[in-house]
Amino acid sequence: MNYIGEDEVIVVRDRKNTINVLVNSCSHRGNTVCRAELGTTNSFLCSYHGWNFNLDGTLLAAPGEEAFYRGELNKSDWGLMRAAKVESYRGFVFATMDANAPALADYLGWVGRLGIDFIASRGEVEFLDGVHKNRIKCNWKIAVDNLYDWYHVKVSHGTAMRVGFVSEEAMAPMSQMVLLGEYGHGIGGPGISEAELAAFDARMANGGDGDAQWFDLFASRRVDPKVRAELGPVGTRSFGHPNIFPNLWVSITQQVCLRIPRGPFETELWWFNYLIKDAPESQRRQAIFAQNHVFGPAGLLEQDDGENWSHSTRGARGPIGRMRPLNLSMGRGRDQVSADPSGQSRIETVVNEHGQRWTYQSWQEWMLADSWQELIASHSQPPTGVV
Amino acid sequence: MLLTFEAQEFLLNEARLLDARKFTEWLELLTDDIHYWMPIRRTTQAKELELEFTKPGGMAFFDDSKEILTMRVQRLAVGRAWAEDPPSRMRHLITNISVEGGDANELSVHSNFHLYRTRLNSEEDSWIGSREDLLRRVDNRLMLARRHIYLEQTVILSQNMSSFF
Ligand code: FES
Ligand SMILES: [Fe+2]
Repeated sequence: MNYIGEDEVIVVRDRKNTINVLVNSCSHRGNTVCRAELGTTNSFLCSYHGWNFNLDGTLLAAPGEEAFYRGELNKSDWGLMRAAKVESYRGFVFATMDANAPALADYLGWVGRLGIDFIASRGEVEFLDGVHKNRIKCNWKIAVDNLYDWYHVKVSHGTAMRVGFVSEEAMAPMSQMVLLGEYGHGIGGPGISEAELAAFDARMANGGDGDAQWFDLFASRRVDPKVRAELGPVGTRSFGHPNIFPNLWVSITQQVCLRIPRGPFETELWWFNYLIKDAPESQRRQAIFAQNHVFGPAGLLEQDDGENWSHSTRGARGPIGRMRPLNLSMGRGRDQVSADPSGQSRIETVVNEHGQRWTYQSWQEWMLADSWQELIASHSQPPTGVV
Repeated sequence: MLLTFEAQEFLLNEARLLDARKFTEWLELLTDDIHYWMPIRRTTQAKELELEFTKPGGMAFFDDSKEILTMRVQRLAVGRAWAEDPPSRMRHLITNISVEGGDANELSVHSNFHLYRTRLNSEEDSWIGSREDLLRRVDNRLMLARRHIYLEQTVILSQNMSSFF
């Protein structure tokens, strides 16, 4: 079970192996027809009056079709509502309620696709049983804002560094790369220069002799020429956090996190966890360790994030507090978007707020557009030149 | 009966230390090989209740060794652990204690808990659940060698769990 906005949806694979995305609401009185978070079923039997729906949402039977409905219930009109479009990219399934939305690959654009390529290029992955879920009294956008935020780490997570849970240099790399894509997608966070990558390659060709760098772990996942071709010359050098707009964070901890709005003042966080199928046992264990200990409500980092996000929402809620424009100025007008023959434009800089500005600007454009048609016409192209 | 009394004394004393924020003393009650574990719980159909909890070794809210528990405690002590600064007010109500098995040296103990937390002016959290503990006798005193925590929540309804259960 999942959500699209405030609508509960059932995501179910049917006997033909098709993935169906169905609105969890019976066409008779609106009752939910599925109450379990996960599991297997032959059909969805509504618990109220017994309308029974197939796994593809069609209405199979209703009690009393002859006796009470006098044979006049046209079942083909009364299936569960289906998402208007369900498409997948490299195994990640996306759905939309709007039939006029662009095709998934177009919607994702190269930045959104690259976000998923970061995962898929690591080989076949398997998602683990168990999604960490919790509720934070924050607006969902502050959670999205935070994934681009390499400024908060030292202060928010200072204690996790002090006790040796995470290392300071791994957590606050100065060299940052930001990639911005149409419709609000972005990737922001650590990145290395062409020279650094070349130096890394030379060092590896040398049998690894030389000074270890903070990015060795990330770069070592990108040595295969096939992977580099997949990610592109710039993507190969980015180890940042993708956000598939609006609310899917692809984290470097072998997790993806959905930030599901529960009204303006509450957000549900769902952490999905995966392993690389052919990774050695020690790496699998390390990944599981990080998945259970970094984020989530008891995570040694996210405990403090939850506190700050809810108080950022709360602090800016008052009638006076909410009137003051907040400061989003970091790096504005001081950086340059560099083009690349591959089409992978990027900003290479220090810690900045380009990702956040792009997110809020895109959000505003989404909110001002009345339809997909209008948004397609009105949305901004990612910036070029000085940014 | 004597063992039940001993187990009860241990758990009540432990709760007293936690509520008084004497976390370093609390750590001294834990064996070095402790496993402190809270699985993820899910709503399932009655016929699939075996899916209700995630399994050991997989995804969990807590899957801690002594080393990790020590880090959690140290974090609180260095200051600026924002989830607990200002510190929460906490009260553990421990009930339904029963010795389920084992011998005088290692007892399996079941208990229920209600952990009530308030923060700042009006933040309130309430966690109710059960614990399956293994208490081991070391140098003639009981220590906590294993704790499995089963919370009565699927989606954790709190912005964090910065307390010990
Ligand atoms: S509400 Fe579903 S059968 Fe009546
Ligand atoms: Fe954080």
